Amino acid sequence: MASPTTGRIFLVFCLQVFAICRPTLAAEPIDFAHEVLPLLTTACAKCHSNGNYKGSFSIDTRESLLESGMVAVGKSDESELIERLTTDDSELRMPAESDSLTAEQIAIFRNWIDQGVPWEEGFSFKQSSYEAPLAPRRPEVPPVNEKYSNPIDRILQPYLQSHEVSLEGISDAMFARRAWLDLIGLTPTPAELEKFLKGARSDRRARLVQKLLERKQDYAEHWLTFWNDLLRNDYSGVGFITGGRKQITGWLYQSIYDNKPFDQFARELVSPSPESEGFINGIQWRGQVNASQVREIQFSQNLSQVFLGINMKCASCHDSFINSWKLKDAYGLAAVVANEPLELHRCDKPTGEMAVASFLYPELGELDATAPREQRLEQLAHLLTHKGNGRFTRTIVNRIWHRLMGRGLVQPVDDMDVRPWSNDLLDFLAVNLVDNQYDLKHTIELIATSKAYQSHCEIVSEELLNTKEYVFRGPRARRMTAEQLFDTIWEITDTAPAKAAAVIKNRGDQPVRAALMNSSLLMRSLGRPNREQIVTTRPAMLSTLQSLDLSNGDEFHDLLIRGGEKLLKQWNGEPELMVNHVFQSALARLPTPDELATSLAVLGDAPAAESAADLLWIVFMLPEFQMIR
Amino acid sequence: MNVLPEISKEIDRRRFMQALSASAMAAAGSAAPSLLRADGPALPPTADTCILLWMAGGMAAPETFDPKKYVPFDIGVPAESIISTFPAIDTAVDPIKICAGLENIAQVMDRATLIRSHRVADLGHILHSRHQYHWHTGYVPPVTVAAPHLGAWMARLLGPRNPVIPPFINIGQRLEGIGESEELKAFTTAGFLGSEYGPFNIPYPQDAGRSVRPPQGMTPSRFERRNKIYREMIQKSPVGEFTSEFHQESMLRSMENAYRLLSSPEREAFDLEKEPREIYDRYNTGRFGRGCLLARRLTEAGARFIEVTTEYEPFLHWDTHENGHTTAKEMKAQIDRPIAQLILDLEQRGLLDRTLVVLASEFSRDMMIEGVPGSTAKDQSRAKSDTMQEMKQYGLHRHFTGSCSVLMFGGGMKQGFLYGETAEERPCLATKNPVNIDDMLATIYTAMGISPGAAMQIEKRPFYVTKDAKGKAVQELFA
Repeated sequence: MASPTTGRIFLVFCLQVFAICRPTLAAEPIDFAHEVLPLLTTACAKCHSNGNYKGSFSIDTRESLLESGMVAVGKSDESELIERLTTDDSELRMPAESDSLTAEQIAIFRNWIDQGVPWEEGFSFKQSSYEAPLAPRRPEVPPVNEKYSNPIDRILQPYLQSHEVSLEGISDAMFARRAWLDLIGLTPTPAELEKFLKGARSDRRARLVQKLLERKQDYAEHWLTFWNDLLRNDYSGVGFITGGRKQITGWLYQSIYDNKPFDQFARELVSPSPESEGFINGIQWRGQVNASQVREIQFSQNLSQVFLGINMKCASCHDSFINSWKLKDAYGLAAVVANEPLELHRCDKPTGEMAVASFLYPELGELDATAPREQRLEQLAHLLTHKGNGRFTRTIVNRIWHRLMGRGLVQPVDDMDVRPWSNDLLDFLAVNLVDNQYDLKHTIELIATSKAYQSHCEIVSEELLNTKEYVFRGPRARRMTAEQLFDTIWEITDTAPAKAAAVIKNRGDQPVRAALMNSSLLMRSLGRPNREQIVTTRPAMLSTLQSLDLSNGDEFHDLLIRGGEKLLKQWNGEPELMVNHVFQSALARLPTPDELATSLAVLGDAPAAESAADLLWIVFMLPEFQMIR
Repeated sequence: MNVLPEISKEIDRRRFMQALSASAMAAAGSAAPSLLRADGPALPPTADTCILLWMAGGMAAPETFDPKKYVPFDIGVPAESIISTFPAIDTAVDPIKICAGLENIAQVMDRATLIRSHRVADLGHILHSRHQYHWHTGYVPPVTVAAPHLGAWMARLLGPRNPVIPPFINIGQRLEGIGESEELKAFTTAGFLGSEYGPFNIPYPQDAGRSVRPPQGMTPSRFERRNKIYREMIQKSPVGEFTSEFHQESMLRSMENAYRLLSSPEREAFDLEKEPREIYDRYNTGRFGRGCLLARRLTEAGARFIEVTTEYEPFLHWDTHENGHTTAKEMKAQIDRPIAQLILDLEQRGLLDRTLVVLASEFSRDMMIEGVPGSTAKDQSRAKSDTMQEMKQYGLHRHFTGSCSVLMFGGGMKQGFLYGETAEERPCLATKNPVNIDDMLATIYTAMGISPGAAMQIEKRPFYVTKDAKGKAVQELFA
């Protein structure tokens, strides 16, 4: 069997490459990541890094390289490295196991040494020894004290102390806006906000979180976006045209609405009813498909990614270079769903070997490969959600932490083999989910009521991103999703579309939410993914093309004009109240006197739809509006 | 057309690049892609701009650039005897002949490299958009990560030539409200590279001016005022402590970039109304012709990659499932004049040397064969008949993948050069120097200074500009 260690055949460049690739000229400064690193990797790393140090020579880090004495900083002529690359003595010449380097490649090494051996900050060839556990673990949680009752905070306290981080709490108004957007995808209306701010009870924040989570429809229609992305469900998209794809919308909506326990939720996806079978059926394009992309393999890849944070994509074609999963593992999982015997294909070529249905972790129990398909799927569903499968629960609580806090405990969220920055917190949230009958709302509530969540976002600078080790210093600000952006704008200006694309039974006549709409070009531009692949992280930044769409695109402009008209009608003759309304509902605060004066000037003496639209545009383009913090 | 003075261009480029690297930074530690390798120093580019003229729907080579024996329409002519439905004509290059209806392009063949041996994959039951996906990305869908369009690769790896002109411009293709639009959208994208590198879509060239003007109904002064007050508001904002936050900085930079394009002199390049009437008329054979004119104007202004398409719409334009001869004639009338004019205009402006113009299609067509001989692909002709009884049966109505014609101009390619051969008789397979999609794309990338082995890292593995880095540029094509 394969254990989920971070396999070390391929040298993963976990470096943070910030530079933009430009073809570099010889005279330009050497580019370590793009010029030197590929050479080191192909020519040197196999014998001189990550545990193999032939001739006691290590290139793991800049320090180890310099310690070896093989390079004289700034002096390529005096460096033994260059000597060894260029010598005529075949006994000494490097690389020992492959062809000699070309003149250009040697010139790159020379340049690099002459320019002082620049290195990518934090990069090391040495791989972490971390091995993600399968079994759940119940960490010891420090007892309740007068300052901290939430177990998240209690676990974090020693962590924060040792990292000399102190979190600073946020105001009620800032908390309200954040909680509203995170939990139900809308901003509070001025009336809702006012009611909350007037509350005197000490547990008003906890009560607010509960109340928001009880708004079942709003909750479902916000979190539908998250699940649609994760399960690549959509109402239009590739595959539908030739009948090669099926929605799970009705089942999914109802499951979120009912807060279906997550283990049951997963079982119903893996061992589905006709309403939920779209997930395991995958997407079929017309015509012949590469062996690594047939529906059965899609199943193997998607199940691994969604529920276990495992990348099975490489292993569906050949034994993986990036983790220890083998072709056999990928096909074993695929064979569970296959109607017909499935032959292993390596790089699209048949191997003659037939796949045997199996699950990735045989230690969790037997899967009977000879059973009929429906039974195999049932067994798989059972093994996946087995109490001993801590990876299943860790993966989902990490995804939720990522959604609410802007960065995962494990990052990226689709690679659960990466070491979490707090094992205790991850493990605790995972067992806590099981203790609470797989109630995802409970996990959300636990996080949202923690002091960790209710603290200021860390101010992220370039330097901070450059440091190698992540330290939790508070949540990270996030950009609104396209859906959150539209939902709030539609709500503030009363301009929601009349009809949804998603067919939801008994939905009622509440305003339509963006998650229920087909993706428009504007929504796509603002980051809604195509959903042909599973996409778990939306783009963090507003791009220039998106800004263009927002600055002069007809779709957005028309929306603001309609919104301007509505608001003028609503606040007829009271521009000041209108400005207050817009600021309060968009930013959860009143305008400053200065802002009010400027806004009134925008509206002018005789406000028209156009000037109202201009004001809306200005407010909706403020980073303060588009960011959740 | 005015181009920004060099010096301010440099400053703008730097600012643009800063904005880009800010988004790259945001990606750090996330699942976003990072540059893996440029695969050694790429060869020096022979072109700075690439214009792809896309013959959407399957342009029949024997009706355009690869004439075979001409069999005129007559009642009772056996379908089997028909390979070409147009006679051949001479071109400016002595041995090269092309089909009637392309007289203007024939006159500029001395600037062209003509490849007749382009072979595309046989993917079974034909779905046009799937073959187009393959051609534009180098990968056959489905793919495990969203594959980027070649224009997006150029935007990502080369950046804009002029910072206020979007580096990937897509002219002439509607992406909504038409058949297979979801499938078209699947490859008209930057995919995993991120939407910063995605297409700037201009479905109607005559409306391009509007796409870079303030919104409809807004005067320039109102637009300027709106922006001015927006900046004031940000300065006055009581949440000023976040100004050092990189999310905020990058957002403001993006807004600033957009504003700069919308208020820059270059935006005039988008406006076909600014073109002298006489020249406009030379191009104006329809939407495609106007798209060529727009492409020329944008090339002058500093575009990096432009695609101009005859537009894919199932069963229309080059997608001739019936009535092929008549439709091919109409299509040639649309493309012939503007393409020739585009080449001459670029040449006259001294831009052709550094602009690679490529004309291509997802596959060719044949009267009898679907896919290639022996393919299991389903026959989709709508005008089947053993002998010609009416005009709508006359033409090439089946999808043929065994040989396609690709035309290249400028950008470092040979001139008046013919590459590859196809059989004179059915099946008209490529018989000499076949070029597959990987090598075709590698040729284009190489001309643009991108190594076919360049890769981005996504999900810890390399994703190459040509499939598995296997594309090899066809060296014989380069001058």
